[in-house]
Amino acid sequence: MQFVRTLTILLLFLLPINAKANEAKNWLKIEIDKIIYAYQNQDLPNENRFLMIEQTINNNFAGSGIAKFVAGKSWSESSKETKLEYIKLFKRHLALNIASMMQGYSNQKYQLIHSNYDEKNKVTMIDMEIFSETGSIQVTWRVKKSKERFFVIDLLVADISLVVTKRSEFNSMLKTVDYNLQKLNEKLAAQNEISYNKIIN
Amino acid sequence: MSKLIHLLATLIIFSISFNLHAGASDEVKTSSDDFETTIFEDEIYDPLEGINRAVFGFNNVADKVILEPAAKGYRKLPNPVQSGIGNFIKNLKLPLVAVNQLLQGQGKNAAESTGRFLLNSTIGVFGLIDVADDFGLEQKEEDFGQTLATWGIGDGFYVVLPLFGPSNVRDTTGMIMTMMTDPVNAYATNQGEAWLIPLRTAANAVDQRSKIIDEVNALRDNSVDYYAAVRSSYYQNRKAAIMNTDDDILTPLPLISIEFE
Repeated sequence: MQFVRTLTILLLFLLPINAKANEAKNWLKIEIDKIIYAYQNQDLPNENRFLMIEQTINNNFAGSGIAKFVAGKSWSESSKETKLEYIKLFKRHLALNIASMMQGYSNQKYQLIHSNYDEKNKVTMIDMEIFSETGSIQVTWRVKKSKERFFVIDLLVADISLVVTKRSEFNSMLKTVDYNLQKLNEKLAAQNEISYNKIIN
Repeated sequence: MSKLIHLLATLIIFSISFNLHAGASDEVKTSSDDFETTIFEDEIYDPLEGINRAVFGFNNVADKVILEPAAKGYRKLPNPVQSGIGNFIKNLKLPLVAVNQLLQGQGKNAAESTGRFLLNSTIGVFGLIDVADDFGLEQKEEDFGQTLATWGIGDGFYVVLPLFGPSNVRDTTGMIMTMMTDPVNAYATNQGEAWLIPLRTAANAVDQRSKIIDEVNALRDNSVDYYAAVRSSYYQNRKAAIMNTDDDILTPLPLISIEFE
């Protein structure tokens, strides 16, 4: 009897957590399919395809929050205008990175295999397996809910976090410009231009 | 022969003692005003950055000119041929994987790796077919670098090796130990077929590279600092391999603020 009671309490505790994880998983599937649809639609010109993907990414990623995190200590020392310009450039940079990565997966099948809600940090981790003919690769999406909306806060490919890598990369670049965010903006704009031309051609 | 063993032992002892000191120096440097969101590590000890960047530049050219085209050509091979080559290479690594699992106290995993090796080498036709997977014996990777890490030896500083790519002092030591103790390499040398060793290394590089063509290109084409991106990726990947933990738990969670989205 004691066992049944413990089991019931445990189930009552776990069910809402599982429901939260599944809700995020269902939302993610719809958004991933939008990106894949953009890649698979051969009628779309490359510029329009990227714009469609960029819009999906901007709507669903915590772009401003990630930008702030990646900027590290240079964030607090910058003016409001510089920060706004940086966020705009960073969001495009993020979209270019993700679009470029997803391009390689566009013809492959994927499955959202597992989702787990981290109660402490209020983050859902969703594991996705992408299948190719010679193997598979695991991608983990970290999703957070705010004001009834989901946002992707990080993406891990084979244990490597996109956000951690970007922070390390930007920190290394910021060191060379004395942590001046305005100077980073110039470099970021130039890099975005190169990446954009590669993705649309 | 005894001179060689003596030299090897000295080298290993030197490397280990050096790494014990280096272990303290590769501690993550963070301070509360570094970032507003969370405590996070993003400093990797890289005192040879200038030299490393030069070697990295050379490797990048070598990758573009030789490895990437070879990997793309390899990907055009029929899938069963690619899988067969990949399986064969992975199978040859298993004896040392099992040794490292034992050294790390993973008896069950060592037994499974041995079982994998025996099954794949016999029923799996010299390792060309991965039959062990069907028996529930999963492929796991362990090397001397991971073993040294498990024994508490620190990373040491970051180093980019010509052609071999990103590493650190501990993992380079592990790589040398692997080269010197690998039974397959030793057998090839004893048979007077030492030329097979670089061929095996090259085949492994092409096989591995063919699996990450898109990922590497996405990183290379879109990084503001490709060197730093690869360095960070290497450390994250190695940390995950050493910890043998689920990535969700292992990778630190950046507490991204989404209030102003």
